[in-house]
Amino acid sequence: MDPSAVASLLLVGLARAMILFIVAAGLTFVLGVLRVPNIAHGSLYMIGAFTAFTIAEVLGKNPAGFWIALVVAPLVVAAVGLIIERGLLSHLYQREHLMLILFTFGIMLILNDMVKFVWGADYRSVTPPEILDGSFTLGDFAIPRYSIFLLILGPLVALGLWLLSNKTRLGKISRAAAVDREMVGVLGINVSWVFAAAFVIGCLLAGLGGALVAPTTSISLGMDHTIIIECFLIVTIGGLGNTWGALIGALLFGVSQSLGLLFLPQYAIVFPYAIVVIVLLLRPRGLLRSVW
Amino acid sequence: MFNKFVEPRWLLLTLALLAALLFLPLVAPLFYIYIISVIFVTALLAMSLNLVLGYGGIYQFHHAVFYGVGAYTAALLITQLSLPAWISFPAGPLVAALTGLLIGAFCVRLTKLYFGMLQIALGSLIWIIVYRWYDVTGGDNGIHDIPLPEFLTSIHGAYYFVLIIAAVCVALMYLIIKSPFGATLQAIRDNPQRCEAIGINVQHHQLIAIVIAAFFGGVAGVMFVTVERSVFPGLLFWVLSLEIFVMCLLGGWFTFAGPILGAAIVVALRTVASRYTDYWTTVLGIMLILLIFFLPEGVMGWARERFKPRASAADKRGRELDAAR
Amino acid sequence: MLRVENVGKAFDDFMAVNGARLTVERGALVAVIGPNGAGKTTLFNLITGLYKPDRGKIIFEDKEIGGLAPYEICRRGIARAFQIANIFPRLSVFENVQVAVLARQRKSHNLFQPAQNLARDETDAILDNTGLFPQARRVAGALSHGDQRILEIAIALGSEPRLLILDEPTAGMSPEETAKTMNLVQQLARARGITILFCEHDMDIVFSFAQSIMVMRHGETILQGTPDEVRQNHQVQEAYLGGADA
Repeated sequence: MDPSAVASLLLVGLARAMILFIVAAGLTFVLGVLRVPNIAHGSLYMIGAFTAFTIAEVLGKNPAGFWIALVVAPLVVAAVGLIIERGLLSHLYQREHLMLILFTFGIMLILNDMVKFVWGADYRSVTPPEILDGSFTLGDFAIPRYSIFLLILGPLVALGLWLLSNKTRLGKISRAAAVDREMVGVLGINVSWVFAAAFVIGCLLAGLGGALVAPTTSISLGMDHTIIIECFLIVTIGGLGNTWGALIGALLFGVSQSLGLLFLPQYAIVFPYAIVVIVLLLRPRGLLRSVW
Repeated sequence: MFNKFVEPRWLLLTLALLAALLFLPLVAPLFYIYIISVIFVTALLAMSLNLVLGYGGIYQFHHAVFYGVGAYTAALLITQLSLPAWISFPAGPLVAALTGLLIGAFCVRLTKLYFGMLQIALGSLIWIIVYRWYDVTGGDNGIHDIPLPEFLTSIHGAYYFVLIIAAVCVALMYLIIKSPFGATLQAIRDNPQRCEAIGINVQHHQLIAIVIAAFFGGVAGVMFVTVERSVFPGLLFWVLSLEIFVMCLLGGWFTFAGPILGAAIVVALRTVASRYTDYWTTVLGIMLILLIFFLPEGVMGWARERFKPRASAADKRGRELDAAR
Repeated sequence: MLRVENVGKAFDDFMAVNGARLTVERGALVAVIGPNGAGKTTLFNLITGLYKPDRGKIIFEDKEIGGLAPYEICRRGIARAFQIANIFPRLSVFENVQVAVLARQRKSHNLFQPAQNLARDETDAILDNTGLFPQARRVAGALSHGDQRILEIAIALGSEPRLLILDEPTAGMSPEETAKTMNLVQQLARARGITILFCEHDMDIVFSFAQSIMVMRHGETILQGTPDEVRQNHQVQEAYLGGADA
């Protein structure tokens, strides 16, 4: 087997894992604090991607277009999330757990139709800025610049999330809220706003993931279905609510898929699912400890 | 339900409904007959889910897998092995039940959300295999024009077949719910910890319930093949699982007939609304959210609450206990 | 009948039970007392299998039961009523008890027989004994707090235990309800030949009903003896009763 082919597949897998991690980290963050697996998370990711497309389109040849999209798209998604949370979800926290989960499914149905309404069913694409386009060559081995960019950004996001939950007041409160809501309430902290903040951070990450994926793939309706199921699996093998678990899960998922291409190209997509199931049969609660 | 197994007025109503459905094909246009057949299939599927969801309190997040496995088993046995229908049809539910046993055996070690997430993971593996294994399952194209016995090829034939099977299955499910097993299952839903303390092996009962639900889900899958004569990976896709979930909620998951009503509403909505708009799922989404806000016990649950206030007080207490856990 | 020998259980670093000893003779009414956090409920959880003991032995009718699953322990003849009303709120009062009776008769796997005709007489007898019969058709979640606690005991009786464990059976009850409940317990114990182990905050109840009292503090057994022995023990007075006349 050609070692440089293996290396470049590995690189593709790692780059893909970074995007998966960013999206899954948002999902697991919300799950950890609110205990709600946000089914609409994939739709928010899709909105992020389409928003990035529109911004890049509007700014046309402006080289800063991609960078602006990378900042603005997550903010747009976060705003959508804030409206959903404050307007609707926040009134349901006293309800049965299953109701909250089904509520996010209802939101997913509506958001998907909204995307269809605004952007239509066509395939769209975004070109990365010049600095990230093309690839370096190292001997006879080509490294896509965009992959390098993702490989730098992924760990930065992980670091940022770690700082957020360990070094800030909000992070500490939300970690406490994940474990014991009553206690946080007793301390005189407005739990409702902690939940809102957590939900918005989750949406921000979904939007960021969407904006980041835009230059690597064609953007279309239905992209939410694949990402949400993949993120659910990643979050599950990582341990519900555990950010580091999401990172490990995303790496397992992304790398096993690209290595699968090496052995059984037609079934490459099956590989990560099989890995997930094997992991879960051995450790049904996931690799790392769930936060609650 | 306390003194008599079935209250006479409900029995009468059921028989009247059944008689009406038997005579319907004589008067109704073919399109409606077809839609009602689809409702039967969907209702059976939703009821099989509610057996574990509403009566068992189990977070069965990926019930569609059993539906799809049942449908694909029958379809593959007919198309790949050319087996006759009288072997392929019963094989569907049996393989579905076996799948339920396998998935369930791993899942029942966990509870609630962990259970649901693990089930999604295990079910998704089956989905992705079906989705990719072009040589056998036809991949994302599915299998179409499945040859069926002569009497099932007409819309009327399929209608009567599905009606009879679905009625038998519903009767069986009623028996199960009213059996000691059913009573125990409901007790487990209300309070699993207490059940352990009175000598009930909770996981064992949950596993049996999952196998039974998977079996009836498989029957629904075979009925789908009867009506549509095709299968595709969407049958075991996770979004369908959520849709059935919504049907149970819509009709009322603490009532026996609720899921039938929920399935009828969703199928009818899809048929009617999609004629006028491309955005019928928005209608479903808005309905779902309105329901969660205003009728969390579903339509049937709401009706029961209006006419039997005592039951609602109990449900309220039940919700409080659920929330406390 | 029941012997707990030097049992210990830790949660993380906290020793909830540390060297508990207890002997329950057949037919007796035994109380466990101790200040809040002394480990009484944890001890009961250990005996009924909710927790696995880290060390020590729990012997019931000459067999080790420590670490068995709760349902297995119940099948050996130990039933328990919980501190909070731990009932099946959406089922009727009748069904609440019937489920327990069916489980004891090993009929809970029966799929196709109508449940309503099974275990009727036994269930009715229990409801009659506990005074719940007039409310048999009501949905359990709609009962008053006191009645829910009695239903809690009725469910435990459905398992036909030889040893019944009651965790603060009268907590949150009015004085009348308390007296009614304790008389009921005593009467049931006699009529059905059930041995009873209970814990209780109300010292009047403990000293007037129990034949043997075990005193716990910091997860440890200080002593077990007759009410008089316990009353006269200096260590107990200092540690728990605060020297006051109990």
